[in-house]
Amino acid sequence: MKRYAKFVIPAALLVVVLIVLMVNLSSALVYYNTPSELVDRAGSEDRLRLGGRVVPGTVVDADGVVQFDVEDCDVAVSVAHAGSPPQLFQEGIGVVVEGTWDGSKFSSDTILVKHDEQYRTDSDDYDEATHACQES
Amino acid sequence: MTTRTSRSPRWPWVLLAISAAVAVTAAMVVGPDAVQGQLSRILYVHVPSAWLAFTAFGVTMLMSAMYLWKRDLAWDRRAHASAEIGVVFTGLAIGLGMIWAKPTWGVWWTWDARLTLTAIMFFVYLGYLALRRTTDDLEARAKRAAILGVLAVVQVPLVHFSVVWWRTLHQPPTLIKPEGIDMDASMFVTLMVSLAAFTTAYVAMMYKRVELARLEDELLVAERSTDGPVAGAAVSTPSIDGGA
Repeated sequence: MKRYAKFVIPAALLVVVLIVLMVNLSSALVYYNTPSELVDRAGSEDRLRLGGRVVPGTVVDADGVVQFDVEDCDVAVSVAHAGSPPQLFQEGIGVVVEGTWDGSKFSSDTILVKHDEQYRTDSDDYDEATHACQES
Repeated sequence: MTTRTSRSPRWPWVLLAISAAVAVTAAMVVGPDAVQGQLSRILYVHVPSAWLAFTAFGVTMLMSAMYLWKRDLAWDRRAHASAEIGVVFTGLAIGLGMIWAKPTWGVWWTWDARLTLTAIMFFVYLGYLALRRTTDDLEARAKRAAILGVLAVVQVPLVHFSVVWWRTLHQPPTLIKPEGIDMDASMFVTLMVSLAAFTTAYVAMMYKRVELARLEDELLVAERSTDGPVAGAAVSTPSIDGGA
């Protein structure tokens, strides 16, 4: 009985810890939210991570603030980022911005580039269609 | 047990020298990625490092299971050797990934699911190596390590599929996905050559490390067998509380 307990108690504890972790981390494991998920929260004070694709033709860089739209399949959100973005930042690329809602605009102070899993030596070979609308 | 003739072979090192030379050349001449430019060359060392870490931990699991079944310390030494190499290549994958992340993402590190789980995997296998040092009873050491060696492997699919199961900053897999390989043929060939070179390095290191582990075990046993009254009278055992 004691030998048996020696294995069962740690195993049971491990299972409980794993369940607690999975339940609590499931939201933490989501690194960012999409524009569709965040438009409803406009006006909230929370610090958020917004991820999507930089809409081509919307990037305006002036007075240390870069403005652009970030879109998913349904919605585009206007972002104003204070500072300079990473070198890979460009129209059509994936980004994750951190900041808060400022009215109907998203005010960001941190920007990360999320490049995709395509590798091409010639930019013409990139499959734009599959990435124009990112579901994940 | 006087002389050991079974030394680790030399052929993996010859093969490694050749394949590494080919891999480095290929990685240097292949065209850069259109978006990432020259940064994309880190692909040819980052991906094989991660792949080798996964493979090494998979081998540790198999060897640990074999030990638990056969109770032969030779299996334990193979499990140990593979775990040690796996830790090195996990560290390498993390380090190279950070060097890649800074110019592309804009940060060295961030706590997304892929990076966090990889860091946990790294520390769990460091824990495996630490666990092996908790006793010099070879059988007890082998048993404890084997149990952890089998359990810890669940992290490998967790790390690999983290980018599919959860929303991460790290991009999803390029090679293993339903739509096929999302990469130019020239880059794919270069990556495969690099994977082959890294795998050869693993084989070479395994032979060497298993040989070393066997010698370490023999030394431990030899030291213990001379630990009789003669040596015992002359040498005092060190103890933690300083009493001798």
